Amino acid sequence: MRRLNPSLVAGGVIVLLIVVTALVSFVWTPYDATLVDPASRLLKPSWSHWFGTDKFGRDVLSQIMVGSRTTLFVGIVAVGVAAVIGVPLGILAAMSRRWSSEVIMRSNDLLLAFPALLLAIMFGAVFGASTLTAMIAIGIASIPSFARVIRSGALQVMRTEYVLAARAAGRQPFPIAVRHVLPNVASLITVQASVSFAIAVLAEAALSFLGYGTPPPTPSWGRMLQESQEFLFSAPRLAVFPGLAIALAVLGFNLLGDGLRDRFDPKLEDRR
Amino acid sequence: MKSYPTRAVALLATAGLLVVTACSAGSSTSSGSSPGADQSLSIGLVAEPASLDFTTTDGAAIPQALLGNVYNGLVKQDETGKIVPDLAKSWTVSPDRKTYTFTLVDNAKFTNGAAFTAADAVFSINQVKTKWTTSLKAAMDVVQNAKADSPTKLTVTLAKPSNDWLFRMTTRIGAMFSQTGVDKLATDPVGTGPYKLGSWKRGDSIVLQRSDTYWGTKPFFNQVTLKYFKDPTALNNALLTGTINVVGTVQAPEALSQFTSNDKYQVIEGTTNGEVLLSFNNSRPVFKDVRVRQAIRQAIDHKALLDTCFAGRGKLIGSMVPPTDPWYEDLTSVAPYDLAKAKSLLQAAGATGASLRLRLPTLPYATSCGQVVKSQLEQAGLKVTIDQLEFPAAWLTTVFKNADYDMSIIAHVEPRDLGAVFNAKYYTRYDDPTLQALLASADAGDEATQVADMKKAARRVSEQAAGDWLFLLPNLMVAEKNITGLPQNAITESFDLSHLARS
Repeated sequence: MRRLNPSLVAGGVIVLLIVVTALVSFVWTPYDATLVDPASRLLKPSWSHWFGTDKFGRDVLSQIMVGSRTTLFVGIVAVGVAAVIGVPLGILAAMSRRWSSEVIMRSNDLLLAFPALLLAIMFGAVFGASTLTAMIAIGIASIPSFARVIRSGALQVMRTEYVLAARAAGRQPFPIAVRHVLPNVASLITVQASVSFAIAVLAEAALSFLGYGTPPPTPSWGRMLQESQEFLFSAPRLAVFPGLAIALAVLGFNLLGDGLRDRFDPKLEDRR
Repeated sequence: MKSYPTRAVALLATAGLLVVTACSAGSSTSSGSSPGADQSLSIGLVAEPASLDFTTTDGAAIPQALLGNVYNGLVKQDETGKIVPDLAKSWTVSPDRKTYTFTLVDNAKFTNGAAFTAADAVFSINQVKTKWTTSLKAAMDVVQNAKADSPTKLTVTLAKPSNDWLFRMTTRIGAMFSQTGVDKLATDPVGTGPYKLGSWKRGDSIVLQRSDTYWGTKPFFNQVTLKYFKDPTALNNALLTGTINVVGTVQAPEALSQFTSNDKYQVIEGTTNGEVLLSFNNSRPVFKDVRVRQAIRQAIDHKALLDTCFAGRGKLIGSMVPPTDPWYEDLTSVAPYDLAKAKSLLQAAGATGASLRLRLPTLPYATSCGQVVKSQLEQAGLKVTIDQLEFPAAWLTTVFKNADYDMSIIAHVEPRDLGAVFNAKYYTRYDDPTLQALLASADAGDEATQVADMKKAARRVSEQAAGDWLFLLPNLMVAEKNITGLPQNAITESFDLSHLARS
């Protein structure tokens, strides 16, 4: 019987907690997360407001709960964009001739050299700051990492005997890619997705902090941090809760990624 | 023999170094230097100008930086609101109040070297009438003729008596331009002021250098940097870390305690002309019904809003007139907070559930107030979507120029701007013949008539709910303790730097 992987378990539990929080927030939050209540502004944590209230009198716990939706949404879409474009590019680069492979990978390098946050800020400036533009920009910036990882995995698969046999039998490249290569790099995609998810969460928080991400009043952990800045001296708790949420989410997805890598990487098989 | 020249060079270099060191010792970090010494100052502001040309570009940031500093007018306003001489030493008004005769100073020079004469004043007035493209140019329409009788004598004839015209000459439309210096106004302004443009690093700062050709008392600082910040906390932090010496406009009043409790800083709190307006696009069908506009005003708890989004600093005014204007009346009672009344007004107008787009500029107070407004209007039964537009460029184009919005929030800092803001051509698209008649009567009448009619006009826009006046911005500044000459009240368009000094 295999030993449980601690990273996988810890990461899985944290991610599950965030997912459950996000799902619960659709049906229940202690208070309306966007309801401004000046009479209740800047309340300290208490039984009625576990995490206190912000300068608008909004319940911080409710905002953290609804903010987890934004976080997951951004992560899913950004990783989706990166995977949908990056995975086929990686497989194509592995299966195509040398020169076209070079073109794909050097284009990837160009994109990789462009800072992700700068790209997102440019998108925000051109198309207007919104969750969608932030997600797409983060997704585009994550394409190179997907393409590189998948290409290296696909190159290994292309040298396997069953692929060589399929090619010798006259199979076309597309069926080989779908039937043989893709299933064998699926574990790599899963690992890369969880790592990219953590990066996307952090990037969205950074963008919202800078005012280029989720616009108000939709709760976002990054913007909660931004709005807490002027209270760092008088009510530092306002920065602590969203800060902890971001740290926990990033930790969770990274641990999950590490755990999945350990679980799927054949080189680590002996150590298990 | 060779060693002598070497020694001489070394001695000269050492002497030069000492001189340089002595000069730099008198720069920004030293104190006690006399006016005219080599001193510099850095002021933190928000909302950078989109251009330096206020003849074609709107926005209060341009005159804030340039008027009174790079440009002079014939007249200007002092801190009490009184019209006082600037490039005009004195002036007389004819009995029919249609002819103004100005006697101009004879020693003023533009930074391009040209002398300022009455011909430049005629040129500047005519430029407003013929070349300016901003809506503010309308204030010059009343001028029938401007004539240079001599280099220091200017006669301006109005088509009809106007109380407003001389006052408007204290604002940007009264700026005096050089006949040979208007080619590159957007990047290279030429004026007669105490400062000239040193450099403009877009997105960062404007550097003003003391003008050697200035005709008046030379300002204390030889260089003033206006540094622009988007983030209010970054602005405060810049003062704490010594990057700037003055926070010209505090945008995070909640964080003021860090300065009030510190002996290194002084906090200045006064009043401004900055009415924070929740503007309505009155050309939209939903806003044609006065009941909807009134409902919005009564759905907002202004006291709670001020406490929430500006830490309770500022003043509730209830109309478009600040307390420093002669016709100010407290009109907050015209539309008191009454949620039940707001709901019933919306229901009567059939507007319950109506969707409104609140397009906000990316300015800290607008973002904060917008969230309160949205929440309170939704409690009254409206559906409000917030949409943020980059300020100034995107907001000016979308909201201000194209009027593609339902509601917005912006501080109108121009003095006596009721008539400018509430007319059919402005972005508020407010077309009210009764209001226009009152404004015309106020402009043409004597002083008592003007005050009486302007009071009626202020009440009219308030009762008709042409917009909603969220609050009046305070003049909130923080500066290092030894900076002097900072204005208690900011009631003009300009941030006058010429009186600033270091004690």
